[in-house]
Amino acid sequence: MSEAVGTGAGRTGSAGDGTGGTDGGVLVIGLGSPDRGDDAVGREVAHAVAALGLAGVAVSEHEDPTDLIELWSGAAAVVVVDAVRSGAQPGSVAVLETGAAGGRLPQSAWSEAGRGGTHAFGLAAAVELSRALGRLPALLWVVGVEAAGFEHGAPLSPRVAAAVPEAAGTVVGLLGLRPEAVGSRGGGTDVSR
Amino acid sequence: MSHKLTDGGRVMHVGTLARVEGEGAMHIEYRDGEVTDVQLRIYEPPRFYEAFLRGRSHTEPPDITARICGICPVAYQMSSCWAIEDACGVDVPEEILLMRRLLYCGEWIESHALHIFLLHAPDFLGYDGAIEMAADHPDVVERGLRMKKAGNDLMDTVGGRSVHPVNVRVGGFYRLPTRLELRALRPRLERARDEALQTVALVAGFDFPDLEQPYEYLSLRTGAGYPIESGSVVTSSGGAFPVREFTRHIEEFHVEHSNALHARLDGSPEPYVVGPLARYSLNSDQLSPVAREAARSAGLGTTCRNPFRSIVVRAVELVEAYTEALRIIDGWTDGAAPSVAVPPRAGEGFGASEAPRGVLFHRYVLDAAGIIQDAQIVPPTSQNQPSIEADLRTMVQSWSELDDHALQHRCEQAIRNYDPCISCATHFLDLTVDRR
Repeated sequence: MSEAVGTGAGRTGSAGDGTGGTDGGVLVIGLGSPDRGDDAVGREVAHAVAALGLAGVAVSEHEDPTDLIELWSGAAAVVVVDAVRSGAQPGSVAVLETGAAGGRLPQSAWSEAGRGGTHAFGLAAAVELSRALGRLPALLWVVGVEAAGFEHGAPLSPRVAAAVPEAAGTVVGLLGLRPEAVGSRGGGTDVSR
Repeated sequence: MSHKLTDGGRVMHVGTLARVEGEGAMHIEYRDGEVTDVQLRIYEPPRFYEAFLRGRSHTEPPDITARICGICPVAYQMSSCWAIEDACGVDVPEEILLMRRLLYCGEWIESHALHIFLLHAPDFLGYDGAIEMAADHPDVVERGLRMKKAGNDLMDTVGGRSVHPVNVRVGGFYRLPTRLELRALRPRLERARDEALQTVALVAGFDFPDLEQPYEYLSLRTGAGYPIESGSVVTSSGGAFPVREFTRHIEEFHVEHSNALHARLDGSPEPYVVGPLARYSLNSDQLSPVAREAARSAGLGTTCRNPFRSIVVRAVELVEAYTEALRIIDGWTDGAAPSVAVPPRAGEGFGASEAPRGVLFHRYVLDAAGIIQDAQIVPPTSQNQPSIEADLRTMVQSWSELDDHALQHRCEQAIRNYDPCISCATHFLDLTVDRR
């Protein structure tokens, strides 16, 4: 998630030497800790999207937001799924559109997310640092699922768990906005963990 | 935000401090132009880890306490392992000692690279943050990201995950990485070491305010090598004691304005400092030749007492961490057992290691079945709170003519000298300035 508790572990999807591995492709990233209650919802949605086997869509799950810059460099379109805390009803799904072609994230997103993530470096910081470095994909959506709790070791709360199919559908719908990308590369879908 | 008071004084309050871990605030009061009060207010709620460790098994502290912090989980894992093993009377073999040091190098790399490039360098180069700095200095930021990534990869390979490693257990590891897996990291670590040397030269050229700390320095020290994962305690006034005696010398106490305990050394009212400056000043002779030469070329003497130069010391410590990682990887042979048994017994155990921001101490009391009866954790930011406040008290006096924006920026830079981890300490920052 993009706030103060989102600091658990994640495995990098690529162990490369600084170059992104999705040149021109489409990437879905589930962000969050697997061990902190609803913070895992991004990863669960990523699993659900991977299970659909969409050709040409790489799916990965991550936690350290600084890794994202390298991960999405070179991708044409990226969807990041993350837990959010905005005051909405738990399980609500919201979409934020940005990307090199989009506008800078609002200061509110920056100040909230800037305080979270690993050592005050959150998702919004990763987006804006990528933009400053010219490494932000042309299209980037953040699909946020409103979380209820972030207890250590807790499973997803019922309303957030129930929102996973809707959030996965939202991801697919967003990718559908670019039909020329989805399915154009062939091959199966792989979750990189 | 600052406002004038009816009696002519001035108050400044800085809301949530940026680019530090956790939540805190800073309050400064001026009366007739003189600084009368400086408080670092840590308001992130205390997390009661010590309380909920009671009743848990002696095998659990490495996983439970690692969750205190996303940036220094290895420090928590190592200090807790040492303490539990001490209580149970178990020594671990050389291979496990080496692998602990290698994992810890990964954490130093992640933490120091993040702090130098994304959190602290913008202060010196005159930017509000890394994003603004990246527009003018993209190569510097890209270098920092590559250097940090080398640490993430090392943590991933040794610890099983790049943020909260899951491969550490009391007695060792669940699995040791193979020589082949470790060798695969070599090119990235070599490049990063070269880039760390360039980083030392870069940050040594920054403009540093004049400030010499008179405080006591405290760090670990080992018989051979720079202190990272273990050691016994030494101080700049010549004190030396084993980790087992830590609580005889360090007393924690509560102050009303902070949720984090403060600490004092040997009853002294004067602050003491842990972290890179203390570590370097008490152990510069133990650096590898390449790191020592980097320090010399950066103009560091054998000691460093200017807290703003901590960014140079962190860069030197990055050189050391990459160098140590390469040394351990080059010497690694497969075949060792990943762990030794740690059967429980009743007793008290003590452990300490050098977290990126200073000495982290753990103490546990176990019953005969290994159930934790008492736990104590003394994180580095708690120990550094009095010295952070003392630095600010000294500096804000000379900065009293600055406007609030400039004053806030300078204060935050001074606080970031310590790379404070407030999540750990509460167990950080709004600024208030009161000028009357």
